[in-house]
Amino acid sequence: MRYFKWAFVATILLIFGSFLHYTLPQHDIVRIVGTYQERQELRDWTRIFWSRPDDQSATITSRDVQFIQSVRPDGKPMVYRNEDTAWSWPPYFKFDTASLQTEADDLKSTVEAPKWAVVTHYGWRNELISIFPNAVAVYPVASADVTIVPWFNIFFFVFMGLVFLLLWRMWAQFRERTIDPALEDVGEVWDSVDARADAARDRAMGTWARFRSWLGTWQAKPRK
Amino acid sequence: MIGFLRLMAFWAVFAGVAYWLLLIYSRSLRREALEKEWDADPPPDATDDGRSAFIAQGMADYEGSLRRKLLWGVIVLPFIAIGTLLYLVNYA
Repeated sequence: MRYFKWAFVATILLIFGSFLHYTLPQHDIVRIVGTYQERQELRDWTRIFWSRPDDQSATITSRDVQFIQSVRPDGKPMVYRNEDTAWSWPPYFKFDTASLQTEADDLKSTVEAPKWAVVTHYGWRNELISIFPNAVAVYPVASADVTIVPWFNIFFFVFMGLVFLLLWRMWAQFRERTIDPALEDVGEVWDSVDARADAARDRAMGTWARFRSWLGTWQAKPRK
Repeated sequence: MIGFLRLMAFWAVFAGVAYWLLLIYSRSLRREALEKEWDADPPPDATDDGRSAFIAQGMADYEGSLRRKLLWGVIVLPFIAIGTLLYLVNYA
């Protein structure tokens, strides 16, 4: 039972952590090498890893998606999709896909004369199921080893901590002022019920004892 | 457009529930503080009715206070957050 409980808690934490890891913004330092646009089939379950940039895209089964190709400082490739999130989840309110694609085009560079850029993105890259992180912003930086402070995530986790703290205080207040007094009332009622039950049992025991003694009168008397 | 309306619907439900919960919590804190204030230093001729009246008066004052009005921030803040994000992501 204890292992079951731990497994349950671990699963919840894993799902919640994955959800945050997918949704919160991350920064990559990359060299942008190209952009392209490709028609995507959006009919299977991996649909959840693509955006719903407008109302009709919820029912549409294939559409063109823009991509940004890049190379990381260690030489490994990284490809981002570039899609509006519009008013839907996750709440980035990104509407500037075309402008972002233009900025990415403008930052293209070669391995001989690299121009480094920071791509802010959310989501995961997975080659097996062909999913791509969604680029949200791109801006040039001087070199590949600049330090980026994740201000938004710092703010987000502090805020989330405060919200949990508030919810915990609210629950404590509710328990102290509403549930505990109610339980005390119930406790008093239960005590009186208990006392009456004891008295009734005493009376019942009296009846039972009388019945036993009456039964006893039918037993044969010990022979002398 | 539907997406925007859906967002507004989510906001209305979320902000409504959050406002309601905070209102209950905030009132409860105020009432507890008033009870403690009275119990810590009751007047010599204190009665239960006097205590109730003191708390009722304090709660009435609270309903008109700035702290009570600040709770409307829960309704307004998401709009400011959405506006800020919209600006930072698309125009900054």
